Amino acid sequence: MKINGVQIDDTFAEAFPMKATRIIITAMTLKWAYRAANAIRGFASSVIACGIEADIERELKPSETPDGRPGISVMIFAMSMKDLEKHVATRVGQSVMTTATTACYSGLDSEQKVSMGKSLRFFGDGFQISKVVNKRRFWRIPVMHGEFIVEETAGVTKAIGGGNFLVLAKTARHGLAACEKAVEEIQKVPGVITAFPGGVVGSGSKVGSKYKFLTASTNEAYCPTLKGQVKSELSDEIGSVLEIVIDGLDEESINEAMRLGIKAACSFGPAKGICRISAGNYGGNLGPHLFHLRKLLK
Amino acid sequence: MSALVFTLKKQPEFTLEVTPLTPDNLEGKTLTNIKNLKLIYGNKAIKLDTLFSVKGSDSSQVIIEKSSDKLINAGHGMTKGSITIKGDVGDFLGQGMKNGILTVIGNAGSWAGNAMSGGRININGNAGDYVGAGLPGDSFGMSNGLINIRGNAGDRVGDRMRRGIIIIHGKSGNYCGSRIHAGTIIVLDKVGKLPGEGMRRGTIILAKKPTHLSATFKSCGNLKMQFLRLLFTQLASIDEELTLFNKYGPEAHRFSGDLARNGKGELLILQHYK
Repeated sequence: MKINGVQIDDTFAEAFPMKATRIIITAMTLKWAYRAANAIRGFASSVIACGIEADIERELKPSETPDGRPGISVMIFAMSMKDLEKHVATRVGQSVMTTATTACYSGLDSEQKVSMGKSLRFFGDGFQISKVVNKRRFWRIPVMHGEFIVEETAGVTKAIGGGNFLVLAKTARHGLAACEKAVEEIQKVPGVITAFPGGVVGSGSKVGSKYKFLTASTNEAYCPTLKGQVKSELSDEIGSVLEIVIDGLDEESINEAMRLGIKAACSFGPAKGICRISAGNYGGNLGPHLFHLRKLLK
Repeated sequence: MSALVFTLKKQPEFTLEVTPLTPDNLEGKTLTNIKNLKLIYGNKAIKLDTLFSVKGSDSSQVIIEKSSDKLINAGHGMTKGSITIKGDVGDFLGQGMKNGILTVIGNAGSWAGNAMSGGRININGNAGDYVGAGLPGDSFGMSNGLINIRGNAGDRVGDRMRRGIIIIHGKSGNYCGSRIHAGTIIVLDKVGKLPGEGMRRGTIILAKKPTHLSATFKSCGNLKMQFLRLLFTQLASIDEELTLFNKYGPEAHRFSGDLARNGKGELLILQHYK
């Protein structure tokens, strides 16, 4: 199968179940909402070492936020409720509450919940005020900029992490141009994030390592510098491989994000250095969700 | 299915307890069963069809027509559905209500929303004293829900309320929000003497400056209250009628009090419209 002259490998991406929450950060201006959102998604590229994967989902108009101010929707993914519970409260406390003029709300309505204001309220040192409005409980924490308002909990839902595809290009410059376009397209799909910096992974990994203390290590079969040294998946003309990893709320949204992303990358074609599209396939060891490239592009 | 309509045949001479006329209690009953229900009228129990004519079948929508202020305990303990009362209604409207919508197209007596823990009460006219308040001996008044009064309310609105929201579009009487433990009261016209007297926590929002404020409230100055922005946006999203809150901004003069009772409550006097 080829799209615009770019070969699509007959393979699939493997993804695994995760837990996800969506939080809404508002501030006096969109600029300050972005500052808080960027802080909360910092060092949240992979659960392997960061504990969570987080990214901005989209900008929100004032009419879409609980307090009528401009906002940002951020999605946070973790392997378990315990991880999510730990990281959401910590990150909202250290990244959002500390950002001037912000407030933080739940962006998901579900049965399962993780604490936000429930644990952060104690920062108010007894001056915190609880308010129930529209069946939602908010905490008002007096802070030096005025008042930090945070919803008691954020809804949690089942989600999928690790949807992915690989862009095999002549050079890193070619690959990056295609990946930037692909990420732009993926961001149009609601309910998905690309948590790595810029949405692109420069150092995709395989499961396991020769070192017992490592759970993931470099994917040597896709490393251009090792072409002659290992059993490589790369042909001579390929000089750079970039990966786009997608976490999403359900299979449909990941399917759609992968489809749009791959099509965008392929639009560059071999003339602009894009040779092949493949996917992270670890022989079924990683997870139960399989996204077959050729099937989703039909 | 058409709504279940109860029409008063004549104006009652004594108080008439309409406690059984809730969607919960009427569910699954035939029209004959309903007509045979006993109501307490003065000091006697009478059959419902002595005073009411009944028609319709949908027990989740109850309508009481030609109502009178002698009808008490309307919507008592209801947990679902809606009750619409056309005309005035007496005391204890929505007492112990847990969910559903109770609408009065007329005036209501005292103690509306007493012991309410959820749902919504709309009063299109005026309400008497002790809206959302606790009865003597009760620790708390209403513990959740929303009471929306388009007209005026009497004295001691929300006395000892624990949680919930009371909105008064008109004036409120004296001691509005007295002894409240928490919750929110909003008065969009004048308020009587000594609002928030004895309040422990909670928020009283006044669109107009009170003429008599207790000396035990301390000014925190004019502030932009982020909470007001959230509250007004959320209220405006509930329904069309409450979109009026879109015109209010977050600027308020904040008074903390009642300092005679630990002072963690607040009186917010709105400064101006958006």
